[in-house]
Amino acid sequence: MIELAHVSKRFGNETAVDDMSLHVPKGKFCALVGTSGCGKSTTLRMINRLIEHSEGDIILDGQAIKEYDPVKLRRRIGYVIQHTGLFPHWSVVRNIGLVPRLLKWPAAEVQARVEELMNLLGLSVGEFGHKYPHQLSGGQAQRVGVARALAADPDILLMDEPFGALDPITREKLQDELARLQAKMHKTVVFVTHDMDEALKLADHLVVMRAGRIVQQGSPLALLQHPVDPFVESLLGGLERGLKQASLTRVKDHMTSMGQMLPAQSRIPADFSLRQALSMMLRDHCDRLTVVDQHDVPIGELSLRRIIKEAQLDKGSA
Amino acid sequence: MSLMDALPTPRLRWEGRRPNGVLLSLSVVMLAAFWSLDAVSVAPNRIVAGTGYGALEAFGWPGVLLATLLLSAIGLFAWQPSTQHYRALLASLMALMALMPVGLIASSYLLIDPDLPQARLGLGAAYWVILFLLLLCLIEIRLRLKLSRLWPTLLLTAVALIWWLCAALWLDSLALVQEFRARDAQFVRAVGQHITLVSIAVSISVVVGMLLAMLMRRYSRLQKGAFALLNFLQTIPSLALFGLLLGPLAWLAAKVPFLAQLGVSGIGTAPALIALIAYSLLPMVRNTYIALEEVSPATLDAAKGMGMRSGQRFWQVRLPLALPVLLEGVRITTVQAIGLTAVAALIGAGGLGTFIFQGLGQAAMDMVLLGALPILMLALVVDAGLGALAEALRPGGIQ
Amino acid sequence: MSNSLSAAPSRKQAPLWLWPLLWGALLLISVVAMAAAEPLFRWIEPDARQVIYARADFYVLLGRHLLVVGVAAVVTIVVGVLAGVLVTRQRGRDFLPLVGQLASLGQTFPPVAVLALAVPALGFGTLPIIVALVLYGLLPIVRNTLTGLQGVDSDIKTAAHAMGMTPIQILRQVELPLAAPVILAGVRTSVTINIATAALGATVGASNLGDPIIAGIVNGNMAYVVQGALTIALLALSVDSLFEILQRQLRSRLSS
Repeated sequence: MIELAHVSKRFGNETAVDDMSLHVPKGKFCALVGTSGCGKSTTLRMINRLIEHSEGDIILDGQAIKEYDPVKLRRRIGYVIQHTGLFPHWSVVRNIGLVPRLLKWPAAEVQARVEELMNLLGLSVGEFGHKYPHQLSGGQAQRVGVARALAADPDILLMDEPFGALDPITREKLQDELARLQAKMHKTVVFVTHDMDEALKLADHLVVMRAGRIVQQGSPLALLQHPVDPFVESLLGGLERGLKQASLTRVKDHMTSMGQMLPAQSRIPADFSLRQALSMMLRDHCDRLTVVDQHDVPIGELSLRRIIKEAQLDKGSA
Repeated sequence: MSLMDALPTPRLRWEGRRPNGVLLSLSVVMLAAFWSLDAVSVAPNRIVAGTGYGALEAFGWPGVLLATLLLSAIGLFAWQPSTQHYRALLASLMALMALMPVGLIASSYLLIDPDLPQARLGLGAAYWVILFLLLLCLIEIRLRLKLSRLWPTLLLTAVALIWWLCAALWLDSLALVQEFRARDAQFVRAVGQHITLVSIAVSISVVVGMLLAMLMRRYSRLQKGAFALLNFLQTIPSLALFGLLLGPLAWLAAKVPFLAQLGVSGIGTAPALIALIAYSLLPMVRNTYIALEEVSPATLDAAKGMGMRSGQRFWQVRLPLALPVLLEGVRITTVQAIGLTAVAALIGAGGLGTFIFQGLGQAAMDMVLLGALPILMLALVVDAGLGALAEALRPGGIQ
Repeated sequence: MSNSLSAAPSRKQAPLWLWPLLWGALLLISVVAMAAAEPLFRWIEPDARQVIYARADFYVLLGRHLLVVGVAAVVTIVVGVLAGVLVTRQRGRDFLPLVGQLASLGQTFPPVAVLALAVPALGFGTLPIIVALVLYGLLPIVRNTLTGLQGVDSDIKTAAHAMGMTPIQILRQVELPLAAPVILAGVRTSVTINIATAALGATVGASNLGDPIIAGIVNGNMAYVVQGALTIALLALSVDSLFEILQRQLRSRLSS
């Protein structure tokens, strides 16, 4: 659990982070989003004391971080940065095993842990174990970066635009993998990004920052439905907000039981997103889809008119 | 990360309030040196080693008090540095340097027996140490105030003038002055020779070096061989290279009377110049080559894309961009040549090295200083001057 | 990549050691058997009474030369690297600009002038030449240590810090190994220059391989000069080629 209470950071007369309060429950994924220079990276670096905060309290598991020894604190917190920061003179295996070795784990245990992590992240030990960072592609290097951060099995993971330097396809692949890992491991993650789609896709809790302050925080869906001001709205994609919201909603949440009409020709699995359903409607020139389960058996239907009506109801009630 | 970088000004302001550790410790060391080391030494004649005197004996109470005050002022101002305080520091620094010859005048009155015309006053360890540390302070203040290199050079020139004035009018007993008086015509001639040798050698090696570098860019096979040869030349001690040229040139002069008429002979200027040029070529070629090569390919590509011909690209894009690095090569070459020319005195080329080696031969240390100090000053002045020129030539002051 | 890696050592190692062995052997021969080349030197100086420098054995001169350069090198490396490390730490950062400036300024002090200034303070003999070599050789090492340490990617240092490495661990395991090739290049420049510069020591009474050169210049005996120059050049080339190997191995460890 991470708790920030009225935290501020000043560099001279300049305030980088201003009276920030934030609560990240254990096992949750929190994304800090904002334009560059808004204080999101500073916030992240205050949590592992790479930067000391000026005012307020940062509390990890009930204890203020100022009471921890900074070196021991950092060994308990995983940290991933954009350009990986892998040590170029160390092999992949040695890089990943860094923190366990700092914690003086027995060599055999370190080795076992490194291999476990490499398998977890889809890096073959035989192929990559003895390579050096500059021999890896960007995506592979960042996998090693993530593995290194996870090596000592920390409860908390801080990620500073980890996928910012990757090409869109690799980025998406790594995002999917991170989501999969998170579903399995339930780390408490604080994730900094300026890519709203990435944040929407991964986060349980979304924090929008501007000029060192929190503008709005809440679940991705809540933000999409009710952005507090034009800045948040524009960050959320302005006109495309509807589609982003749709991509967070599953088909099964909007389907109805089979009606009297003939089932629609186009079929869509129930766990697809609403966005994909809408796309399929546009492609197939229809306003109804048949929803199927994983065995391709029809279990209901999705109707455009109904989706719109539900949205109107939502807005009315809000 | 980006945030830290985006906020340089407040960080500097914040830093400004902390004591400047460099000046503070320099001030403490200078005070310690002033109180513990010999300020001056007095010798009855040229060869006998002098006896040292501390600051108190050399300057008397008022002098010691003034110097201690000024030295502590440096520390005090450094405790809370601000732009005004740095300016005040600069002023006290200048005052100290200007007062140093005055202190010598005082000690010559206090310590030298007027009945002994042979007696001479030497600078003690404290003088040298403090002079050196004051120069360090000057560099530090220049960096903090972000002054160009020209400023300290100008200030030091003013200080040098004051020294010169004091030395010429009132410091007859100073050993250095006596050495100079004994051979002033010779000294002026030596400085002239030194500068002439350096300028000829540098100008030839600049032209040859640039030609070579351009040839190397055109014929890549030449590059490896030429660099290997030039690198090899640097491993031969300068002393040896001068020596090695004695024989062949003497032989040439004997066999070809025309060359002998031109002034070529075994000893003297000809072998010195050849060796100087040979040594100067490596830094010159290397810097020219690097300067021309490291111009960003993207810029050159853009120039090509805009339709500039290859000549235009060279003269309008590559050369102007390479100029600062190229000048850096000229600076290194010149400074190196100034030092090497001193060695050339061994083979009779003249120059300031003559005093060094004669002085070493006669164990007359003041004469050694008479040669070494001007060489050092010459090197520093050339370094500062060419450095300032290179700084000024950087388009838009790009670092 | 990995393929060429495993194949490389056997093929590349041989020429790698070739140069230092060759230069070293030539140096050894020239030092031990200079007298054998008497006919050659006789041809250079047909009129001289004596053509082989005989006031001291060449291997003694070589030993003294190596001693002077070696002592100076050890002092310069320790002091230079230490200074470079100290001023890049948080506490010494105040001194960084000054030391950086000094390192470039120091190159402008001609070694002869430094030597000449050291003699009045230290007297004649070996000590002033060692001091002059230390002062002159310090600067490339300090400069390269600074460049090397500052050249370490700040992302890497941040990562090391964030992983919970202590400052000393970061210095020893990350910064120094990454800066090592640049530092070594500085040491190489410094030592190579100093081997040649040490010859000047002969002018202030330090006996080394500069002796034959000075004697040759004073007596107009070209053969002496050649002998001194040849030995020093061979020494410089042997040491330089050894550094080349060291550097190549360091580099290959970093980027193979």
